[in-house]
Amino acid sequence: MEDITTQFEECLRRHLRSAKPNAINYDMELAQLGLDSMTAVAVLLDMEKTFKIRFPDEMLVEGTFRTAARLKQAVQKLREQQAS
Amino acid sequence: MTRPLPDRSLGPEWTILELLARGIADDSEHQTVRDLLLTDTLNWGELLEQALRHKMLPMLAHHIMSENVRFEVPTSIYQHLESVLEWNRWQIEVFRREAVRVAKKLTSRGIHFVVTKGIAFESTLYGALGTRYMNDIDFMIAPRDREVVLTAMQELGFRPFFEWAKDARREEISSRLNRDHLPKLARDVDQPGVRLINVDIANSLTWTKSPFDVSVEEALEHRVEQPVPGMPGVSLPCFRPRYQFLFTALHLFREAWLQKFVDFGNDVGLMKFGDVIRLIDCYGAELSDGELLRVMETHRVSDPVAWVLRRLDDTFHTHTLELLALENHGDEGLLASQLQSSGYVRASGQSMRERLQSKARGSLREVAPAHSGT
Repeated sequence: MEDITTQFEECLRRHLRSAKPNAINYDMELAQLGLDSMTAVAVLLDMEKTFKIRFPDEMLVEGTFRTAARLKQAVQKLREQQAS
Repeated sequence: MTRPLPDRSLGPEWTILELLARGIADDSEHQTVRDLLLTDTLNWGELLEQALRHKMLPMLAHHIMSENVRFEVPTSIYQHLESVLEWNRWQIEVFRREAVRVAKKLTSRGIHFVVTKGIAFESTLYGALGTRYMNDIDFMIAPRDREVVLTAMQELGFRPFFEWAKDARREEISSRLNRDHLPKLARDVDQPGVRLINVDIANSLTWTKSPFDVSVEEALEHRVEQPVPGMPGVSLPCFRPRYQFLFTALHLFREAWLQKFVDFGNDVGLMKFGDVIRLIDCYGAELSDGELLRVMETHRVSDPVAWVLRRLDDTFHTHTLELLALENHGDEGLLASQLQSSGYVRASGQSMRERLQSKARGSLREVAPAHSGT
């Protein structure tokens, strides 16, 4: 699968004010970068649109997007499932 | 005790709405509203627009109908207000019947629940006059009952509201993530003028990830039965006044404090402040007997409640902070540190009164110009 890092980070930066000027720390909680319940919805919608995926209900939980690393992992998994 | 009248710097239209929101207390206030309605320079377009924005059109309509000023009001506006009031009364009647239908179902399942907000306030705080506007029927349940209630609602024909929403996927994701409510529910009805009934079922007195909370289970232990107007012998459970007050004040805090509610056009309105004033006017004895204070201290919600009341007092010239002994609470800096939220509405010196009156809610960081007066 192609590397999604650039698109993924662009997507995060569109919604997270604190992520804009800095390198994204993949292990930091996204809440510390300004993610709240409303921006979480916007980020997930944008990820779905950007990568043409759909988060299933069981993935619509906080754990999916607690950190950038976990969210990227979820996006990659859904892309792989879709490709197979 | 006579309350100070609002200053008129924001125009006669705004003064009328402020007086109606807090409730007309005496003949002097009655006369003031009447005089303002008959002011030559009254801008009816502005009055109607602001009443609509603050969900007060039925209340304004009722006041005008009962003032016997038919021939002083432009005919087309008077007729429109008459129909607004009639329609609101009809919708309330439909909502009451539906609330009773849902209540019977939940009771049959052994669920502890209450009705909240409009459906609870309309018949008590607003005198069952059909003047309190409501978008939906609000219930509160305990988190443990979410699945049982969702199933029961589906059996009654309700489906997730996002099926009707403009952006269905956004609504769906939002409802899955925000566990303080069930997904918004709706059902089509075959009633003239009311095509859809929305039901909002909360399971928290605050919101997801809020640092403040009041146990729903505790609040549900303090239910009282409230008669349903027009349905003899039928009642609906609601919180006893101190928990009604807490829920209403904390709900107002949430909408006032969090930027996301402004962004989504769900910012605070005059009517919500009016609910708090009327709760205190109606149940002042119970709310000031010390027990409410104890509950607030136990759950550490004195600061957000006081923050709301300070703005309410500043806006409406009330003395609620003093009445509830919260003068030393509500520090904004302390709240900001407790919430640590990037979504905090920083209004750049704008007072709550200016914020309420401003039509540029999306740009709250800019101070909106005050009404120039007429």
